[in-house]
Order: sequence, then C-alpha cells, then structure tokens
Amino acid sequence: MQKQLGFLVDLGKCVGCRGCEVACSNKHQLDHLQYRRIMNINKENQVLGFLSLACNHCINPECIRVCKEKCFYKRRDGVVLYNSQRCNGCQRCIGACPFQAPKVNPRTKKISKCDFCFEQLDQGLEPTCVASCIVGALQVIDIMQPIPVYAQEALPNFSITQFTKPSIRVILPRAPQCFWRKG
Amino acid sequence: MKQKSVVSRRTFLKGAAATVATVSFGGTFFDFIFSGLSPAVAAENSTVELFRNACPRNCYDTCAILSTVQDGVLKKVVGDPASTYTRGTLCAKGFSYTRSVYSPDRIKYPMRQIGRGSGNWQRISWDEAYTEIAQNMLRLKREYGSTLPICLNKYSGNFDIMHYGIEGMLTSIGNTTRATGTPCWPAGIDAQTFDFGTIVCNDPEDIVNSKYLIIWGANPAWCSVHSMYFVKEAQQRGCKVVVIDPILTQTASKADLYIQIKSSTDGALALGMARYILDHNLYDGEWLAKNSKGAEEFFSYLKNNITLEWAAEKTGIPQHIIEMLAREYATTKPANIWIGYGMQRHTNGGQNVRAIDALAAITGNIGKSGGGAQYAQLETWGFKYHAMSQSKPANSGGKEDRAININNFGAEVLNAQDPPIKMLWIACRGPMTQDPETAVVKKAFEGMDLVVTADLYMTPTVEMSDIVLPVTTAFETPGVNVSYWHYWLSLNEQAIKPMYESKNDVTIAMELSAKLNELEQGSCTFPTSGDLQEWVGKEFSEGIYKQFGIQDWQELKKGPVKAKSGLIAWQDGKFRTPSGKYELWSAEAEKYGHFPLPVYVEEMQSTDKYPLRCITPHWKLSIHSQFQNLDWMAAVNNEPHIEIHPKVAAKYHIKDNDSVKMFNDIGYITLPAKITETVSPDVVAVYETWYKNKKFNVNYTVKAIPADMGKKATGAPGIAFHDNFVAIQKM
Ligand code: SF4
Ligand code: SF4
Ligand code: SF4
Repeated sequence: MQKQLGFLVDLGKCVGCRGCEVACSNKHQLDHLQYRRIMNINKENQVLGFLSLACNHCINPECIRVCKEKCFYKRRDGVVLYNSQRCNGCQRCIGACPFQAPKVNPRTKKISKCDFCFEQLDQGLEPTCVASCIVGALQVIDIMQPIPVYAQEALPNFSITQFTKPSIRVILPRAPQCFWRKG
Repeated sequence: MKQKSVVSRRTFLKGAAATVATVSFGGTFFDFIFSGLSPAVAAENSTVELFRNACPRNCYDTCAILSTVQDGVLKKVVGDPASTYTRGTLCAKGFSYTRSVYSPDRIKYPMRQIGRGSGNWQRISWDEAYTEIAQNMLRLKREYGSTLPICLNKYSGNFDIMHYGIEGMLTSIGNTTRATGTPCWPAGIDAQTFDFGTIVCNDPEDIVNSKYLIIWGANPAWCSVHSMYFVKEAQQRGCKVVVIDPILTQTASKADLYIQIKSSTDGALALGMARYILDHNLYDGEWLAKNSKGAEEFFSYLKNNITLEWAAEKTGIPQHIIEMLAREYATTKPANIWIGYGMQRHTNGGQNVRAIDALAAITGNIGKSGGGAQYAQLETWGFKYHAMSQSKPANSGGKEDRAININNFGAEVLNAQDPPIKMLWIACRGPMTQDPETAVVKKAFEGMDLVVTADLYMTPTVEMSDIVLPVTTAFETPGVNVSYWHYWLSLNEQAIKPMYESKNDVTIAMELSAKLNELEQGSCTFPTSGDLQEWVGKEFSEGIYKQFGIQDWQELKKGPVKAKSGLIAWQDGKFRTPSGKYELWSAEAEKYGHFPLPVYVEEMQSTDKYPLRCITPHWKLSIHSQFQNLDWMAAVNNEPHIEIHPKVAAKYHIKDNDSVKMFNDIGYITLPAKITETVSPDVVAVYETWYKNKKFNVNYTVKAIPADMGKKATGAPGIAFHDNFVAIQKM
C-alpha cells in the first residue's frame, strides 16, 4: 500500500477540551453517539494527558474481516468507510474493533462510524476534528511517509492495541516541573 | 426519481415524516434531522445560507461564529476565521449550539405553574401571560404606591448588548428594585481600579510577545481555550510559562513550571517576591519615578513587614522557589501576569490582586507589549445602550431605584422593607443553582406574589417560578457582542426563525408594555413596537465606530472587526486614578475602608469542625448553569465529582467513586469521590454547574461571605466563593 492516512495526536498540546469530540457531533449531527472520544491517560491518579481517539483506519481492519455483509471497505488512501445499506445490525464489528469505533445508531439499529470526513479530504480540506482543535493537537498524517522522530506508536501506561495496525501515532506529553505544597 | 428533484421544502417535510414512520423512531422532526440521516432529497432543492453569530455566554472568548443554515435549519457552527482570536474554531460548548437550539428540553411556550415547585405546568398564551404579569405589576403599584416591590435579577446568561433592554423594561415601569453587583469578579475590578483607575488588559493575542508568563489562578485550558493557542505559541517562541494555583489544572499541566500555593495566600507570595526584587535591586526605579505614586511607602512596608521566610511559611512554597520565581520574573523582559478570577474570590482577594499588580508595576512591565497585569477590559463596551436607556413614567411612585446586593440576593429580598419585594423578574440568570445559600434564595422565592422567569430550559430557577416565558437563543435573534478580554466586535445576525413560541427579551418588553398601557394608559414607557435589526443599529455610538474603524454597523455583516487602538493597556502612561499615576498608595482605597497600600490581609482559616476548603471552580463543559444540561454534554460527562487528595481520602477511608457527603452548617451534598493528587491536601474541589435531573448543587454549602472589594466599581463586593469550609464523610 502506498498511502495510509491516519492521525497524529500530540498529547503535549491536547488540553482535553473535547472540542474535537463535539465538533464531530456538530458536523455529523450525532445526538446519541460519538465517533471521537477523549480518553484520560492516568497513572496513580495523576492525569498524564488525554488521548483523542476515533476510528484508527487500521492497516488490517478487523471490522472488514468480521462483517459478513461486507459493509466496510478501504479506500486507496487507507480510509476505512462503511456503507449501511446491507447492515443487519449484528454488531459483530463492534465486538471485533479493539477501539469500539463502530457505533450503533440507537434509532436505526445500524452501524455508523468516523468516516475521516472523506468529502472534506477529497476537497483538500482537513477533517472537522483536526480543523477544530484550537491548540493544533490533531494532525492528518500518511503513516507510510516518514513521520516525526518524536512521534511513536505506543503510550506508557495506556496500551493501544496493535494487531490491527492502527494508523495512529502519538507525541508524548511533557510534564511541567512541579513544586507541590509543603505541609 | 424525477419527483424528488423538484420537492419543495413542504414535501420534504412530509417526506421526512414518512421516513420517520418507516424506520420507526419516535420524536419530532428535529429528532429526525439530528439522527444523522440527512435525507438525500433535501440536498437537491435546498438553500444554504451563512450567517455571522457570536457566542454571548459570559465567556472570555466571546467567539465570532459562522453558522450554516440549510432550509431554515441551523446545521453547523464553526468559529469565524475572520477573527484572529477565534481563529476558525469553537470550544466544545460552542460546537454544541446546533444541539441546544433544537434540544427537546427547550421551553416551547409560555406556561403557568399551579403551585410553585409543584411541576404542575399549564400551557398559556402569550396574551394570558402578559395579562397576568401586567395586572400584578399594576396591583402592586396601587397597593404600595410604587413599583419598588418589583425586583429584577438579571445578569450574565446573555451578554449581547441588546439584552440590556431587560433593564430598560424595568426602568420603563417606574422605580424598581435591582439586584446590583456582579458575582464573579468585583474584588479584582476594584483592586485594579485603585491601582490603574480602571480595568484594561493587553490584547490577549499579544501574549505571543511575552518572554515570561505567569498564569495566576486562571485556567484558560477550560475557560478561555482560544487563549491557550497564544500561550502555546508564546511557549514555542521561548516564553517560560508558570502556573500558580492550588489545583494542578489542565493549564498547569501544559506549563513549564507549576507552583502549588495555599489557597488565598497569593498576596503573600507576591509581596515576598516584591521584597526579593527590592532587596536585589531588580526593580525599575525609572519607571516608578515617572509613573507611580507611593513607591517609597510600598518599599518601606515591604522592608518592615515582609520577609521571604514569612512568605514561604504562609504560602507553603519553599523559599528558594519564591526567590527563583522573583528573580526570573524580574529579569526576563517582557514579563506578563494573567490574574484569574478564581484567585480573587476570597475575603482578601482584592488585596491579593493589588499585590500582584504591584509586582508588574515595580518591574516596569506595565504599558508594554508582552508585559502587563491582565485581568479584563471594558474598553470596547462603549455602546449607546439604547434598549437599556428608557425613561420612567411620570408619577409612578418612589424616588429612585432600590439596589439590593446580587451577591446576597436571598437574604436581601427577604429583608427588604418599605415596601417589601413581592414580585421577581428573572432573566439571563439562575439564582436557584448559582447563588450561594440556596436555601435562603428558595425562601425568598417562596415569599413572592409572583415570580416570572424568562429562560430556555426548565432550570431549578424556573421550577420555582409561577410563569415561565420561552426566550430565543442567539441564533434566533439579532444582537451585537464584545468581550471583556479580547478586542473584537461581532454582529450577531438572526440566522433562523424563533423556535416554537419563543421570543427575544426585547420583544417581550415591547409586548408587555403594550399590555400595561392597554390596562393603564401611560403605565409603561417602553416602545410597543420596533424592528430588532434597527434596534441593533441604535446601540452603536460614534465612539464605537471610531474605535473599530467602521462607518456603519452594517459593515459587520462582512465579518467581525478588531479595535484599532488601545491594544496595549496603559501604553500612554495616562492612568485613570485621581493622581493620574499608577497608585501603589491609593487614597481611594482608603476611602473604601482598605489600607492604602497593597498589604497582606490574613486569609480565612479552616476550623476543627470544617477542616477542608471547598473550591468551586468553573467546569469545562459549562458556563455556570449553561451547556452541561444538554444531552450532548451528558454523553461526554454526566456526573459531578468531589476531588480529594489521596492523603485526605486515606484518612477518611474513601476510595475512588465512593459516595461522599460534603457538609457544613448550612447544607450538604452527596457525590462520588475522585481521588487525585491534582488538588491540595487542604482543599476539595467541586466544579459548579447545573446537571439536568441531578440532585446536585454545590451552592447548598456555599455561604454568602463577601469578598473584600467590589463596592467602588460594581456597587457591591464580590462573593468569597472559595472561602467555603466543609467536612466530608464517607457514606
Ligand atoms: S480539540 Fe484538541 S485539545 Fe481539545 S480535546 Fe481534542 S485534541 Fe485535545
Ligand atoms: S475525521 Fe471526521 S468523522 Fe472522524 S472523528 Fe474526525 S470529525 Fe469525526
Ligand atoms: S463558550 Fe466561549 S470559547 Fe466556547 S464558543 Fe462560546 S465564547 Fe467561544
């Protein structure tokens, strides 16, 4: 594969404001489900940062493998899309996706998920979540291209499942020097 | 499929209804629109329009918004890229507007409640509502000889300039009682008024020019998230960012240095730093000589009363850290301090702000790009206030309006005599969740003949009202907005028709006036008709035109504009104090009962009975009682917590998510624990907000203790919200 689009999430910049999460709901008008979610990365009660996570448009997508109705497909740029026409609501994809990216629409009982805002991509625009991040913590990257050396696949204290080869890279947060109260 | 390409909006609506039936989900047309199943038929024959809006919700950022309206439905909101402050983005709250406008929870028509608090609501017509309200107003005037028994409590739910028409409406019926003051920031305003003459801050976009930035008791990552871009940008350009806070906030976690301070001792830290700066000759004598009054007195106060050992002892910050901070702040130029509103919500809050201002002054950082002591500004608020400026009808009784303290609202309503208060009009405000001493506020409501609340949602304040009037959101009505932080001016266009039977507050004023005059000719001077768009135009003054470099307000339809001058506070060195100088020694302060110098005033202490200080800061998904009630927000978070330090938790055998009762002598709340080292060991934090259908209100435990300052500039002192001492207990 020549191209695989994915997300670069900079935990050093992300302030966990959830703008990306709600901007996505705004764009797709989702009232009871969310494509993007912010996970707290904790260690012994200390928040180390936030991980903004949606569909990772994996290199080996489990959703495509398990869906008997062949609802999922992968574009040449690596974006994993979903077509609801044939969906019978079996929810196998939800069980299979390590990131629970596919969601059930409680009304239609069918699946929907992050589509990488592909119509925007096709017009050369950023996906909504990326465009809405005030501090610039989200970026679109082609993980087949060399990515910044400081970006990595894993986070300490928080495992990102790797067997599907998710197209997500992270930049670790930098903790401030802290002086805690005496007494 | 030919048929579909020519569907009119009408048949599209019908088609939508049909689809509702086939996929079998209940709810309204709007539920359908928001199910994410945008019907393809709509796209073919639809009109898409763009409108300019502004977020009016008492937020630093007051964002310029670009709204997409398709076939009369608000489909999408984004930040307006024309504003270099908003930069094309909104926050999570702003992005939820497409939901809040169409929320099934909106109040749809006027209603009357049979039995306050009973939940027994009946739909009534607008005419019935106006009649009942007008009759009561006229009856009270007859019984008491004036309209003073009618009390208005309106504040920050919508800071659009036209919304001051609510005050205008009350003026137009005669002398009335007004909840006066401002709850959130008055101590700091007075402090800066004593020091500088008024509040003015640098353009926040100027933060990028700072080489040293202390964010002192503010949490922009939650409360002014657009500023975080400039903070990060400054950091990228080599600025060191320091956060001083009793809580390791989200902002602190992004800083270079976080210093945990004992809550309410900020003045001790500032004075300790000042002493170090003095001892090491790091002050700017030249600036002081030219621009200040009282430097000598201040320095001798420092020499005689302040030591670094004392400051370390007071604040809990090791002495060498105070020394490092003082040295770095005084020697890195330009150095900026952002003074938050949280740190002045104390009985010594105003004094603490004065001490911090003094740091900026003695180091000569005032009036400089990249420098300053930023608090807020009201320089861009010079409108005509046409909707607000109404005349009083002749012979309506009483000599003048009566002011009662908004910050002790319940008690002051109950105590009002000659005449007593008998009717409340509540707009843009939620005293039943946001005011201290909820029980007292409730009692005040109970003593009324009539409570009228204009609101969007069924808040606890509406639940305690007799009549509720449905109001419009910013998207359904025209207006104009400025910020108390940045220097942009945004028009708010009407993007969609008012939903259901909702009306703008000014329209309500006009129609109520018509009713009052119908019942008693001449009883109300408020115009009974008018075009809201034109009324927006009437708010603009020559001063605003000049400041923003426009000839006509209609130019704002092309986009927001930024002030052309005054972007660096006090650059001209003309302070608005009595002496025209920066006043370290303020006779004005003395007049208001304070020490003339910025001195340390002892902070409030915990007691054996109530050993923990409860801090109630702003929550990232709300602005006071707004936003968190929406289902979109509930999907992100729907549970308040009490944040407890692990050491404290261990002492009380409390584990994560255990149910904890927090109480003091006025009330209690029960909520799940969140054990976190981010709070100080002598502090618990509970974020103030309103959750729909939750028995949560942190103000059950908050007393109406006044802050030290606020009387001069805002008419009443602030509230020492963070001087609330409590005990906790595992349930
Ligand atoms: S918008 Fe940006 S900063 Fe905010 S939560 Fe999302 S990634 Fe983080
Ligand atoms: S790429 Fe688009 S659909 Fe996916 S999370 Fe971001 S905004 Fe949502
Ligand atoms: S709440 Fe503040 S940051 Fe959010 S959209 Fe409104 S003004 Fe902007």
